[in-house]
Amino acid sequence: MSYYDLDAILTDAEKVPCKFELDVPDLGYLDNNPSQALKAQTPVSLSLWLAELLALSSRTQSSNPEDSAPFLTLEMPKALSNEVVSALKADPRAVALRDQTHNMYGLATRMLDLFEEPELCAVLRRTFVTRAAETALHARKAGATDDVVRGEGFLSGLEEWERSLFRRAHDGNKACKEWMEGVKK
Amino acid sequence: MALPLPQGLMPTEVAFLCEMEMLFTPPSDTVTPDHDAAITCMRNRKLRPACQPNLQGDTPALKPPHRAQMPLWLALLLKKQRRANIVPPAWLHPASLAEIIHHETNIDPQAFSPPPPPPTRAEGRTGRARPFQENIRSTREAPKPGDDPRLAPPFLPSCTADAPAGYLPYHWLELAEALLAHAADDVPQQAEVRALLRDLQEVRAAKMRGSTQSLEGGGGVVVLRGVGAMELAESRGFVLGVVDGVRKLGASAEATRRDEEANGGGGGRYGGGRGEFEDSDEEMEF
Repeated sequence: MSYYDLDAILTDAEKVPCKFELDVPDLGYLDNNPSQALKAQTPVSLSLWLAELLALSSRTQSSNPEDSAPFLTLEMPKALSNEVVSALKADPRAVALRDQTHNMYGLATRMLDLFEEPELCAVLRRTFVTRAAETALHARKAGATDDVVRGEGFLSGLEEWERSLFRRAHDGNKACKEWMEGVKK
Repeated sequence: MALPLPQGLMPTEVAFLCEMEMLFTPPSDTVTPDHDAAITCMRNRKLRPACQPNLQGDTPALKPPHRAQMPLWLALLLKKQRRANIVPPAWLHPASLAEIIHHETNIDPQAFSPPPPPPTRAEGRTGRARPFQENIRSTREAPKPGDDPRLAPPFLPSCTADAPAGYLPYHWLELAEALLAHAADDVPQQAEVRALLRDLQEVRAAKMRGSTQSLEGGGGVVVLRGVGAMELAESRGFVLGVVDGVRKLGASAEATRRDEEANGGGGGRYGGGRGEFEDSDEEMEF
């Protein structure tokens, strides 16, 4: 992953729900209450890069992993909540992933690094593969026929990984079509 | 910065390589090896000898009643000058194409139709369909011991234009398109052949899209046996994209599995962040 990868930067900025394990002074404005300290266990959303750091680092100096405690605990973001996952289980093609978040799979891989969720991993893999076949079909048909309306709903629901996949599939088809039209010359 | 070219060969490059396929050509005019036609086209195609030293060679002498074997590019050039006709390969016959489509749709709807059967050993050793190669070796340099050309698929004669009826060679789409574009009058029942080729292309493109479905379960491997060069060039970006995406999605699970294997199933080596996370994971279940 490149340092200048815009998708990675945007994924870093995704908001993740989390709860602080201790009272934090001067952070009350995160809970719309600027005059007081942020109480422990108040649900707030932080950017993934910050939440990840705070959740992985220990607030005590001791090197013993037993009594080390993180600053906050993370929860699954809404895009990977149970409702979305069960909808994906039912029919991967019917869910507009882009409405959940623009970097659905990017966020999911980051969360899977943090949580051990074999089931979520399997559901996402099935979703990706099933939607990829559909994406390739649209990539092949794009521009060839006039029924734009049919694919529009699905295509506008593609998130960033799937968009780049669409572009690659379409580029291949386009190069092949161009050659085929140029054969006669 | 990297070149903005996609991975692998472009369709146009594949079509260029396909022009070295050997075809039978009954000439209608005498063309000697040092005849102007051959020389001009070699000159026009300076690139070819330069980039691929084993693709160059002498052209055979053409005497009207005898058919000669020559590469596609030369055959097309002579065809345009009306000095030769082209014998379309056996697999391009409508009956053969219909048989292949039947195999693709009814007999084995999952896999691609098989590539041409492996040749006999002697064929693979000598490269029967490569008189160019033979010429070079006999005239310019004595063959070194242990240097006899041992060809492997898809470069075996039977995998190229010589493929028997009912099997698609490696360069099937490019060769068929080139013949239909430039030597349509030599292809029998060309309208039917065109329609069958379109059908075949669509059937196989749908299979190519479906081939990635087997990655769903985890241990799936995409079988691409019998896929032609042009189809590969067309779908390479897509298939690689899917495989890469599945790899990224499974990366963390794979890392955990490897860690467990390395530790013999125990999680004792985890310190710091990893251990904490497993704790916080448990807390969240309350």
